[in-house]
Amino acid sequence: MSAELFKKMAQSIIDGDSDVSVELANQAVAANIDPIQAITEGFVVGVNTVGEAFANGDAFLPELVMAGEAMKAAVTALEPEMAKRGTQRKMLGKVVLATVEGDIHEIGKSLVGTMLSASGFQVFDMGVDVATTKIIAKVKEVDADIVAMSALLTTTMVKQKEVIDVLDKEGLRRKVKVMVGGAPVTRDWVQRIEADGYSEDAIGAVNVAKQLMGI
Amino acid sequence: MFNLNFLAKDEVEAIHQATLRILSEVGIVLTYPPALEMLVDAGARVQGNRVLLPAELVEACLAKCPGKISVRGRGGKVKTLGDGSLNFHNLGGARDIFDYGTAEHRFAKLQDVRDAARLLDALPNCNTITPFFTPQDVPGGLMSLAMYRHAIPNTTKPLQGPGVQFAPEARYAFKMAEVLGDARELLTLSVSPVSPLTIPDHEAEAIMEIARLGITFGSLPCPTMGTTAPFSISGAIAQQNAEVLASVVLVQSVNPGLPVIYCGRLAMMEPRTGISVWGGLELGLASAGTVQIGHRYGLPVNVYGFSTNAHTLDVQNGFERALNAIIPGLAGADELSGIGEMEAGVSGSFAQMVIDNEFAANILRARKGFGASEDALAVEVIARVMDGSRNFLGQKHTSRYLKDGEILLTKLAERGTWETWNDMGRLGMAERAQVEAERILREHQVPALEPAQEKELDVIMEAAKKELVKE
Repeated sequence: MSAELFKKMAQSIIDGDSDVSVELANQAVAANIDPIQAITEGFVVGVNTVGEAFANGDAFLPELVMAGEAMKAAVTALEPEMAKRGTQRKMLGKVVLATVEGDIHEIGKSLVGTMLSASGFQVFDMGVDVATTKIIAKVKEVDADIVAMSALLTTTMVKQKEVIDVLDKEGLRRKVKVMVGGAPVTRDWVQRIEADGYSEDAIGAVNVAKQLMGI
Repeated sequence: MFNLNFLAKDEVEAIHQATLRILSEVGIVLTYPPALEMLVDAGARVQGNRVLLPAELVEACLAKCPGKISVRGRGGKVKTLGDGSLNFHNLGGARDIFDYGTAEHRFAKLQDVRDAARLLDALPNCNTITPFFTPQDVPGGLMSLAMYRHAIPNTTKPLQGPGVQFAPEARYAFKMAEVLGDARELLTLSVSPVSPLTIPDHEAEAIMEIARLGITFGSLPCPTMGTTAPFSISGAIAQQNAEVLASVVLVQSVNPGLPVIYCGRLAMMEPRTGISVWGGLELGLASAGTVQIGHRYGLPVNVYGFSTNAHTLDVQNGFERALNAIIPGLAGADELSGIGEMEAGVSGSFAQMVIDNEFAANILRARKGFGASEDALAVEVIARVMDGSRNFLGQKHTSRYLKDGEILLTKLAERGTWETWNDMGRLGMAERAQVEAERILREHQVPALEPAQEKELDVIMEAAKKELVKE
């Protein structure tokens, strides 16, 4: 019976249908299925399927976003049960995510956040126009593994370097991996500011994050 | 004149009505206190961080916009948009330059801004110029003004100002235009609201300052279907229209009668990467729809235009930009943008500018169409020829139509035989354009400013630097 349910869960993610994914999550709880198992054997299978289809050019960004939203909704629905059982989903790592100071562009950053959380990272999305000091404070507060920064403008991109410099100054640089992204970010720029990774798109960002975590 | 209409009259009305609903029911994100105060006085309602603009206010402000705008060059030449003519201008604000001769692709510098203006000055179908590149060797806060400052000496054509974001930029650009004469005649400025439906405080302040100074204003939203606008073309046109009309309401409330250019920059999301699509045919369709809705209000409309996603001067580039220019061109656009554009507006090249000059001639030719007067039908001429030489070469009718431009004579497109092409070194159109661009840059001189004017511009830039560049 749970095999059938897991299949439906994966499909709800592929369909990007949050209503169905939440409904299935609730069914799992009612049937006393381990929520962790529901996530890893059900919903995550769907995320991976969509991710692969996207990488092959068979799925598109809107489908990716909807799959990510459906995943998030399902996990949220399962959270009370996980808390009750005292179990926790094993997260792949903690990511502090922000669009840098002076830049209000949100879409690319949020898409990366959606895909990272759908793939099992714990994402602290700080929003847009986030000051360097705030990013650093958050890194310390949550003991982040990765800082991921976005910038759309050539004029704000320099803030990515500023964050790296401050991490360095505060002795955090060796502990925290840095990912950068955004339209003006190029391989040259990444090398110049000595970031650890960058990606051209959100699915690539998940792979980069996994590599940085040694997964 | 032939007009290509994709939208029926009732569909244009439906878009207008949808726009009024967006403005009055959804509203725009606008929190700049002086703007709020003014708009509320005029009947707008504030709801959270949004302003709801009632239909009557929008219609009243539209009614205040003049139907034509004019820009004068420092050489005296005046261009008017809205008189039925089709005009062309270049892409503004490209980050990179692509050198077709060396295949080098790099961040643009100040010298590229100067060279681009001088090259465009020499191209007859580029009617007005806007500073082409965003120079990366200038601090961010000074970039827009530096673009304008260094374009000025390199053209005598009407020079449209750069896109600005801040009120002080508008003030300094105005001061620079005053060095040349009446700034209200010489300058236009544009501001891009943030899609969807957002005018940040600093932009609201800039828009109101432009209106206060009496500078011709271009509202330049750049929504992208699928990310910052609906993925349906008409829905995106309606949202873009709401963004334009919101800024029209702002400027007409500050300065009734201010000349306004209706600018559309609707692009599409590439659904696999999120990158902006400028080369797809849909851009041409959206631009044509934008022309129709802008003309619904009697406003002069500027749209793309020459646009491609291609990274080099290849077949993709040629067919994308030709389609995207001819569709809105035939739809009645008053001005087509994009001369020199490449890579979805990220870069530009000198060879591309030369090619677009020739594309522009073709679009003008298409727009002229052909008549069917008795003289054009030429029955008498046919009869005469059949009784005589049995060919049309020696007919006055032939030479008259040749002189009147019945056939567009090309400069870059070659129409020789295999042998002549072979003897000329088998160059493609792009290579010939590169040679021509290099020749123009070597030879074309623009009358210099008076030394005192140069000095005044430098003094203004120095003051701008003090105010705008934080160390």
